Amino acid sequence: MKALMIAWKDLKFLLRSRTMLAFSIAMPIISMLMMGYIFPQNGGEMKGKIGFYSQDLLFNVMTKSAPSTMVVVYRTKKDLINALAKGDISVGAVIPKNFTTAFAMGKASLDVIPNPANPQAGVVLAQMIPAMMENAKRNAPKKVKVNLTNVDGSAFNYYDFMAPGIMAMIAIMSVSNGLAASITRERELGTMDGLMVTPINRGNIVVGKILAQTVRGVVQALIVLGVSILLFGVTIEGSVWTTILLLILGTFSFIGIGIIITSSVKEQETAQVIMTTITFPMLFFSGVFFPIEQMPKFIQYVAYVFPLTYAADALRKVMTLGVGFSYVKLDVMVLLAFAIVSSVVATLSFQKLIQD
Amino acid sequence: MNGKAIRVENLKKNFKKVKAVDGITFDVDYGELFALLGPNGAGKSTTIRILTTLAYPTGGRAEVAGYDVKKQGKEVRKRIGLVSDRLILYDRLTALENIQFFSRLYGLDDKTIMKRSRELLDLLGMWEWKDTFVSKMSTGMKQKINIARALIPEPEIIFLDEPTLGLDPESTMHIRNFISNLSKKGKTVILTTHILHEVELLAQRVAIMNKGKIVAIDTPRNLKKHFKEKEVVEVELEKPIDKNLINGKMVEAVENYFKVEVEDLNSFLKELADLNVKVKSIKTMEPSLEDIFVKLTTEEGMRA
Repeated sequence: MKALMIAWKDLKFLLRSRTMLAFSIAMPIISMLMMGYIFPQNGGEMKGKIGFYSQDLLFNVMTKSAPSTMVVVYRTKKDLINALAKGDISVGAVIPKNFTTAFAMGKASLDVIPNPANPQAGVVLAQMIPAMMENAKRNAPKKVKVNLTNVDGSAFNYYDFMAPGIMAMIAIMSVSNGLAASITRERELGTMDGLMVTPINRGNIVVGKILAQTVRGVVQALIVLGVSILLFGVTIEGSVWTTILLLILGTFSFIGIGIIITSSVKEQETAQVIMTTITFPMLFFSGVFFPIEQMPKFIQYVAYVFPLTYAADALRKVMTLGVGFSYVKLDVMVLLAFAIVSSVVATLSFQKLIQD
Repeated sequence: MNGKAIRVENLKKNFKKVKAVDGITFDVDYGELFALLGPNGAGKSTTIRILTTLAYPTGGRAEVAGYDVKKQGKEVRKRIGLVSDRLILYDRLTALENIQFFSRLYGLDDKTIMKRSRELLDLLGMWEWKDTFVSKMSTGMKQKINIARALIPEPEIIFLDEPTLGLDPESTMHIRNFISNLSKKGKTVILTTHILHEVELLAQRVAIMNKGKIVAIDTPRNLKKHFKEKEVVEVELEKPIDKNLINGKMVEAVENYFKVEVEDLNSFLKELADLNVKVKSIKTMEPSLEDIFVKLTTEEGMRA
């Protein structure tokens, strides 16, 4: 009961500061817009041309049949380089003499120069060259088209992979900052003394803060979800309630850690610096932007230290694969363990506040 | 109520190597207005923090209202009110909301809360400001709400840590009157301050603290008598003279300015006239807090 009062007081505080409220709402929207637009959509369709400079006559004949939207042939190597520099083509390939003959014997090689302005696109296009050659050799222009799709058949994009993780991330980030502020500010101002000098159990203060911050984090995450659905066509394949439950659990699991940190330092600034030091690497290690499986082995172990890893994983499964609760049981158990252990430690470490 | 309101025995508090409170012992009777006087960093606030269960003592023991501050903190907290050196108010809540919020933490029911809020805010003349946000109030107004908040549990013992710090003269007077009235109503009041005048005005007994120790404890009148046995005179002459020409214990000497402790004022004036130097100004001084500390600490040093 008393914890609820403290939670309500904290929320009232947030609601009454117009700037704070405005930014609490704007922050997830802005972050989401940003992330939604900077990443390539529709599986990263490559817009770019391949430039060839060929010393092999037969190859020159073959390229005649290629569509001009994709392939440009240059007369000299210098033209090729200039075209790269001007950005006319994304990748340049130099075909040596007798390339087609060598290719027929299965030991062809060629040099590929990606455009330094966009090496990624260059690399992707370069990988297409052997396939093109293969097609040309078989003289079968029909290509096999591979489409990446979601469960519902809509086009899968990178954003679908990221959105669930970003939701959890934004909730955790904002909560970690909010928490650092809410505890250390009360200590700095002296109102914490006021709470502690009343005969309530001091654990109520911690629980109240946890409740208020969880509400705040979940509301922000829901804003993220709304923006993702409305603007970027993200869909929730699984249960909406499971999604919300996972969001609450993800936020909750991190707060205890936040309290342990913030109650061990006195100044608001120090608390915020420490929180950033933890949340920043967490963003990259938790598989929000890059799949954990692609990371080096030792980083993968680091990833499993952060609750965000489990929250993002579970949310992704429920939101994009549409699986039920039983498929994310392990994630949920780990998150629960995080939440309970860290809350207990937080309450104990908060008791230590009293000693000086 | 029998026994003492506060009983402190050889109380110690260390912050790493710093001895903030270094073995102090004192008692306060129920209904007494007791002051802790000392400069910044003397250990007054730390003592208050220990007595209000906001800090654990490193050594010794302290009882408030008969309960041990370390082992029976909750019982102590039910019986005390605290006005700390920092305001215990939320500036984004109104006066009334602040009182109501803290009332709920004390477990009062809604009906009692309404009645008590009205009483307390009326008592401090702040009812008409009940819907004003604390952030919009002057320091004096805030302090009044802050005191109202401290009185929510109808405490037997009230701790006031520098309650008039940073207030304008009018608010200061108002708050001092209020403290005096609390005491007249039979409440036990523990007051810390660094203003000697405030102690003289309010306190029945005073402990002077310096560097974590109590250097003197007595009624203000007795203490003053103790320090006023010698007059302190401040003289400004028209030109600098050798300070050895002036009789009496020299406290301070800067060119043509002298601060002297004298046995007898009349003979000092006579001697000064004999020096044949024009006097620009002369005044006798109340012993300042610094003077008292200099004196007390040197006496301590001599005894040791």
